[in-house]
Amino acid sequence: MMNTLTRTRLAVLGTISDLHREPLAYDLARLRSIVTDLAPDLLCAEITREAWESSDLSLASLEVREALALVEAATDIVIVPVASTPMQYAGFVPSEQWRRKLVHRFDRLLQWGQRKANRPEVVNGVMFGSFCHTICALTEMIWTAEDRAAWEAQNKAMAENILHAVQRDPGRRMLVAVQCQRLHRLLPLLHASADMFEIVNYQAL
Amino acid sequence: MTQRLTVAVGGGCLLDRAALSALVSGLPGLHVVGLDSDPPPRVLVWDVSAGHLAELPRLPPGTALLLLVTTDNCSALPPGVAGLFSKDETPEALGIAIRQVARGEQYLSPSLALALLQHQRAASSSVDPTALLSAAGQALSTLTDREREILTLLAEGLSNKAIAARLYLSVRTVEGHLANLYTRLGVHSRTEAALFAIRYNLSTPIR
Repeated sequence: MMNTLTRTRLAVLGTISDLHREPLAYDLARLRSIVTDLAPDLLCAEITREAWESSDLSLASLEVREALALVEAATDIVIVPVASTPMQYAGFVPSEQWRRKLVHRFDRLLQWGQRKANRPEVVNGVMFGSFCHTICALTEMIWTAEDRAAWEAQNKAMAENILHAVQRDPGRRMLVAVQCQRLHRLLPLLHASADMFEIVNYQAL
Repeated sequence: MTQRLTVAVGGGCLLDRAALSALVSGLPGLHVVGLDSDPPPRVLVWDVSAGHLAELPRLPPGTALLLLVTTDNCSALPPGVAGLFSKDETPEALGIAIRQVARGEQYLSPSLALALLQHQRAASSSVDPTALLSAAGQALSTLTDREREILTLLAEGLSNKAIAARLYLSVRTVEGHLANLYTRLGVHSRTEAALFAIRYNLSTPIR
C-alpha cells in the first residue's frame, strides 16, 4: 500500500568488490542470500540510471553484475540505480608513480583486512569499519585534489539520489548496497537527512 | 530475515513435474515441499496440460494456486485460482509470480492478458458505448497522475514488478496504487482495468 505515514527504514550494506569471488564466507552466494532474505522493497545499487535502463552492466561492479541484478530479476525487489558515474573507488589511480605505488600498497592492505574480516557481519561491523575508514582516508590523501573532489561529488550525488528514492516512495524498507570504501563517505551524508528515514543495521532491516 | 517460501508443484507429466520442481528449487528464497507437508505449502504451482486440470487436488487452507498455462488453455479455469502464468515466460518471472500469489494477490502473465482481453471485448460488445464513454471520462478524471501512469503501463501488459521497476517504486506501492485505481474505475481486476484503459485510449493495446 502507499504509505506516507511510516518512516522509511534504511540500511547500508558494505560489500567487498572482487573479493566476493574468493572462497570467503562473504562470497557472491552469501551476498545474494543476504539480499534475498532481507527482501527490501527497494535496493539502491552502484550503477548509473543510464546503464541500468539500457541493461548495460559492463561497467558495473561485480556485486551488481553477479549478485544484485540476479536477485532483482528473480524477486519482487526493485533496484534503484543511484550512481552518478560508472567510476568506482578502484578507478582513482594517480598518474605519478610514487602515488600509484602507495595507493596499491594501501589497496593490498585493505584487501588483507577484507579477507581477515571474511564474514558480512564483520565487514559491516565497527572494528573493520574503523580499519577500512583509516586505510581509505590515507589512500584518499595520496590521490590528487581533483580525484578527491570527484570522489566527494559522486558520493554527494549518490546520497541525493537515495534521498530522492526515499521521497518518491516513503515508508518502505530500503537497502543500500555499496562497496565498503564508500560507507564512510556515504553514511554521514545520509545521517544528515535522517529526519526522512530511520537508519538501521542491515540485519535489523 | 524472511523465511523461505514453501512451494508444491503438480500437474503435467512426471518429467514436467521433475523439471518444474528443479526450476523452483533453484529460484532464490523458494523451497519445494509436498502438498501434504505440515504446515501446508504457501503456493501450489500446477502445470495445466491436457487432462491434468481434472486431477487438481483440493487445496489446503492458506495455499494459493498458480496455474501454468498457455494461451490455448487459459479460459476454462477452476475456482480459486490466484494466478495464471504463461509457459512462455522466464524462470525468473515464475519466482515473481509465486511471491505475488503467496502474498494473497493475483498474477496474470502479460501474454495471457491479451487473450483474456479479447475474450472480454467479445463478451461486452453489446453494451451502449455512449453511456460507457461518459462514465469512463468521469472515472478517469478522478485518477492521480501516478495512477494514470500505472494504468497506462498496466495496459501495455506490464506486471506489477515491471511497473515498479520502470517507475522505481516498490511493488507494494504499485499494488496500493492499483487498488486505489480499481476502486475509482469500479473494476475488480487488472484485466478489467487494462481493458478500460485500452477501450478509452489511455494506452496503445498490448501486442
